[in-house]
Amino acid sequence: MATKEPKIISFLCNWCSYGAADLAGVSRMEYPANIRVIRIPCTGRMSVKFVLAALRQGADAVWVSG
Amino acid sequence: MNIEIITLAEIQDISGEAGNFSVDVLKHPRYIDEDKCIACGVCAEKCPKKITDTYNAGLSKRKAAYVEYPQAVPLKYVIDQDNCIYLQKGKCGVCKKKCPVDAVDFDQKPENRTVNVGSVILAPGFEPFSPESFENYQYAKHPNVITSLEFERLLSASGPTQGHVTRPSDNEEPKKIAWFQCVGSRDMNRCDNAYCSSVCCMYAIKEAVIAKEHAGDDLDCAIFFMDMRTHGKDFERFYDNAREKSGVRFIRSRVHTVTPVPGSDDLELRFVTEDGTLKTEVFDMIVLSVGMQTPKALVDLSKKLGISLSAGNFADTETFSPVATSRPGIFVSGAFQGPKDIPQAVVDSSAASAAAAELLADVRNTCTKEKEIVPEVNVLGDRPKIGVLICQCGTNIAGVVDVPKVVDYAATLPYVELATDKLFACSQDAQDNMVELIKEKGLNRIVIAACTPKTHEPLFQDTLTAAGLNKYLFEMTNIRNQDSWVHKNNPEMATEKAKDLVRMAVSKVALQEPLKEVQLPVNQTAMVVGGGIAGMAAAKSLSEQGYETHLVEKGNCLGGQARQLFMTAKGESIQKKLAEMITAVEADKRIHLHLDTELSHVDGFVGNFETTLSSNGNETTLEHGVAVLATGASPHKTSEYGYGTDERIITSLDLDKKLMDDDPSLTTLNGAVFIQCVGSREPERMYCSRICCTHSIENAIQLKEKNPDMNVYILYRDIRTYGEKELLYKKARQLGVIFIRYSLENKPVVKADKDQLTVHVMDHILNMPLELNVDMVTLATAIIPNTDEKLSNFFKVATNADGFFIEKHAKLGPSEFSTDGVYLCGLAHYPKPIDESIAQAKAAVARAVTLLAKQTIFSSGTVAMVDPMLCAACGVCVSICPYSAPKFTEEGRFEGKAEVNPALCKGCGLCVASCRSGAIHLKGFDTDQILTQIFEMDEAV
Amino acid sequence: MTQNKIGSVMVVGGGIAGMQSALDLADAGYYVYLVEKGPSIGGVMAQLDKTFPTNDCAM
Repeated sequence: MATKEPKIISFLCNWCSYGAADLAGVSRMEYPANIRVIRIPCTGRMSVKFVLAALRQGADAVWVSG
Repeated sequence: MNIEIITLAEIQDISGEAGNFSVDVLKHPRYIDEDKCIACGVCAEKCPKKITDTYNAGLSKRKAAYVEYPQAVPLKYVIDQDNCIYLQKGKCGVCKKKCPVDAVDFDQKPENRTVNVGSVILAPGFEPFSPESFENYQYAKHPNVITSLEFERLLSASGPTQGHVTRPSDNEEPKKIAWFQCVGSRDMNRCDNAYCSSVCCMYAIKEAVIAKEHAGDDLDCAIFFMDMRTHGKDFERFYDNAREKSGVRFIRSRVHTVTPVPGSDDLELRFVTEDGTLKTEVFDMIVLSVGMQTPKALVDLSKKLGISLSAGNFADTETFSPVATSRPGIFVSGAFQGPKDIPQAVVDSSAASAAAAELLADVRNTCTKEKEIVPEVNVLGDRPKIGVLICQCGTNIAGVVDVPKVVDYAATLPYVELATDKLFACSQDAQDNMVELIKEKGLNRIVIAACTPKTHEPLFQDTLTAAGLNKYLFEMTNIRNQDSWVHKNNPEMATEKAKDLVRMAVSKVALQEPLKEVQLPVNQTAMVVGGGIAGMAAAKSLSEQGYETHLVEKGNCLGGQARQLFMTAKGESIQKKLAEMITAVEADKRIHLHLDTELSHVDGFVGNFETTLSSNGNETTLEHGVAVLATGASPHKTSEYGYGTDERIITSLDLDKKLMDDDPSLTTLNGAVFIQCVGSREPERMYCSRICCTHSIENAIQLKEKNPDMNVYILYRDIRTYGEKELLYKKARQLGVIFIRYSLENKPVVKADKDQLTVHVMDHILNMPLELNVDMVTLATAIIPNTDEKLSNFFKVATNADGFFIEKHAKLGPSEFSTDGVYLCGLAHYPKPIDESIAQAKAAVARAVTLLAKQTIFSSGTVAMVDPMLCAACGVCVSICPYSAPKFTEEGRFEGKAEVNPALCKGCGLCVASCRSGAIHLKGFDTDQILTQIFEMDEAV
Repeated sequence: MTQNKIGSVMVVGGGIAGMQSALDLADAGYYVYLVEKGPSIGGVMAQLDKTFPTNDCAM
C-alpha cells in the first residue's frame, strides 16, 4: 500500500449501529474500505478481550458502537 | 406469513354483516412487478422525470419511478402514473429498458378484488391541515413560512438537508424561529375544526428543542400558543425542561398577522400579549403547527359504509366501547377515532384487534397458515462441510466486486466444500437450488455473502430449515450494503474486503453448532389484578376470547374509582354503564372473582406463573400464563385551599356524589368556583392528571344547566380539553362559565366565613386582583397511583418517579411490561378517562393473547448458557441481567451456581462479558467465534 | 349475527395504527389483509424525525 491507512476493526450492535451501517449503503454514502465490521448481538456482549485481541492482531483502532 | 399487504389499494364498499363481510378493494397498478423487483434503484436513477417529493413534504424532488424512502416496506419501486412520461405520452420507457430483472410492466391494469373477512378495522389516519387559506400567515406566498411536517423533514437526517436546519428562501441557518399553535385546530373562524388536535403542543416543543440541539444556543425558538397541552405521560417534564433547560420561549398569544420585512427574507409578527399590549417581533422563519383532520374522501367513504361520524368528522364511538364504530363488526383505531398521539394510537389499535378477536374467537386459526415442518438432520460432531454462496445482486454487488474472484478464493478456504455464485441469491429458484445443493453435497454449514442479515437472514434460515439443516448452522456476511455500495469507486479494495468478509464468516460458521430452541408450554389461564373499570374490561375481553380468567380485587366490590363518577365527557351515565359491566363480569362463567384478595407471592415466568393469593388469611395457589396489572389510582388527599375545614370546600368526586344524588342544594347556589391543578403540575408532582379540566367543565355545565343564573368560575392554569373534549370547553363558555387563569406562583386563596366563601385570584388579562364571593369551591385534585412495591417486586416491573408503572416502550409497547407475559392498563399506567382505560385494557389483552395463542413458546437458539463447573457463584450475571434470566440453581448437584432461563434470555451477552470466570457462553456469538473473526482479519488489515 | 363467521380481518390503513392491529391479529391466529392506499406502509410516522417525549427516532 502506497500510503499508510489505519486499520480499523469495528464491533457493531445488531440492533442499531449495524443497521446504520446498512443504511449508509442504502444511501450510497462512501467511506474508505480499510474497516472490517464484526456484528455482535448487543454492545453488552463486548469484552475487553476482543479489543485487546484486535489490537494485538495489528489493528490501529477499534470502534465499538451500539 | 399471515399478513397480506395490499398496497396502492382502496376500499370501495363493504357488504355483509359482523362475522362475514365482503369488501370490494380496488388495487391500482404499480407498473413494477413486486415479485421481480429487487429494489436496486436503476429505474429511479435512469428516469428522466423529476417531480415534487411528497415524502419530504414537498421540500425536495424525486423521480416518477421511485421508492418513498429507503426503509419502505415493501421495498419495491413504483411508477407514478400521473407523472410517468411513458404512461402519459407513450414515449420514454427508459426504466423498462434498464431494469436488470425485467420488472417494469406498463401493461398492468387496475384490479377489482373482493375479499371475505370476519371483521374490518379502519385505521386510515388523518391528513395534516393545509394552511394555504390562512392568508394572514403568508404560508402560500412566503417560502420561510412552513408547516410543522415540513419542519420535521428539515430536522430529519434522511431529509432534504440531512438534518441541517436551513430556511428555504436562502438556505441560511435561521437564528430565530417562531411556532404558531392551533393552525387548523380550535378554530371555527378560518376553518371548521373546533376540536383540539391533541399532539401539536408536544410536537412543537419537541421540534424547538431538537432544532436548538442541532443549532446550538444561539438559535432562538419561540412558541406562540393559547393553552399549553402537555397532558400525556412524561409530557409535563418535557415542557418544563424545554422552558427551563433548553430555553425555548413560550408566548401566550395568537399571532394576528405576519408581514414580510422589505429588503430581507425575514417576517414580522404582530401579536397582542396577555395584558393587552400590541407587540411586533421579527423572525427568520415561521413553523405552522398544523392540526389533524379527516380527509374529505374518508368522510364520503364513511357515509357510504354507514359509519357515523362525530361533529369533527371522526368515527363516532361510545365511551364504554371506544373502538367500535356505529356499524357492528367494524372497528376503528388511530387518528380516525379522534386526534391522538402515537402511544394512544398504538393502544387503540391493539384494542381494535382485541375487539375483532372477541367477535371471531370461535373461528380463530381457521384461515391462518402454518409452516410445514421438515425433520432435522443431526450433524453434531460431523466435520464441517461448508457451502459458500456469493450473491451478485444483479449488478449491485457484481458491478463493483469481482464475484468470480471471490468465489475462487472461497473455494480455497478450510472446510469449504462448495463455493458458487447466484445472480440473486434471494430469488425462489436460487433458494430451491440451495436446498438441492445442501442435500446433494451433504453440506452442514452455509455462508451467504450478499446483502444484510437484518432483512434476509430469516429468509435464508427458512431455506436451511427446508433442507433439514438446523437454521443456526448459518452465517451471512454483508458484501452489498457494507461493501459494494459504499466502496463503488474502489472495486479492487471492495473485492479484497469481500474476500476478507467471506473468510471471517467461514471461520465463524465452522465453529457453529446446531442450536436448540427450547419449547415451553404457555398456561392458558390469565390473571387480572384490580377490579376497576380497566381490570373488568380486561377480564371480560379475555373471557370473550375463550380464556379462563381470574380477577383479583383487594376490596370487597368491583368498580374501583368509577363508582364515584357521575357522567362521561360524552354525556353517558357512568353508574348505569358500570352496573351493566359488573353484572356481565359476575355472570361470566369464565371469570373467577377473588374479592378481598391480595397477592402474597409470585413464582415462575412468562407462560408459567404461579401466584399465591391470600384472602382473609386463606392462601390458594393459582397457575397462569399471563398477568394483567390494573391496580388503578386514587385521588390526592389535599389540605390546600382549606379543604377539610369547611364542608363547602369539596373535591370533584364530592361534587359528582352530589350530582348523582341530585342534591337540591346545588340549584340554590349563587356562585361556585372550580380550582384546577390541585396537586398536579407542581414540583413534587410534575405531571398533568389529564382528566380534571374536562371533569370540572362537565360539572360546571351541569351547574349552569341546573341554574343558569349561577355564577360559575373555573380557575385554571391551562385548559386541556384535548381532542373533541374541546367542544365541551366551548359549550361551557357559551353557557357563561367564566374562565380565569392563574399561575403557579400566584395561586388563588380561599377564605371561609359564615355566609360565604371568598376566593381571591389575580386576573392576568385585567392585571388586577379579583374577589369572587361564592357558596361552593370544588377542587380538581390530582390522581395518585396506587403504588404497591410488593407487586412491583413480584413481577419485576418498575415504577417511575411519580409511582406509575413503566411500560415496555412509551410508544410501541404502552400496554405491556418489559417482563414478558405481564401487561398493564388503566390509571396504574397514567391518569386517563374511562374510554382510554377500556381501550388500554383491551390492548393489554390483545398483547397477552398474542402470547396465549401460541400455546407454546420457543426460546431463541442464541441464548446464554452457564457452564456450572466453571461458575464461581459470584452473582454478577444475576444482578446485571436486564431480563432476570440468570438465577441461582436451587437444588441438585449445582445448587448455588447460576443458570440461565432460555425463555427469558434475549441473547444480549451482557452476562457473558461480565462473567469473571468465563463460565457463560453465548451460543451463536461465543467468544471463540468472535475471536476467530478477529484472528482471520489478520490478512485483511 | 351470522353463523358463517370468517377467521380473517381486513385492516384498512398501513400507518402505525394499522400495522399494530395487523400484527396483533396475525399473532393471535387470524389471517390479515392490510390494505394501504400508498405504495408502502408506514404512514405519517415514517415522515417524522423524532418522537416526543423520549426523542426516539421515529423510523
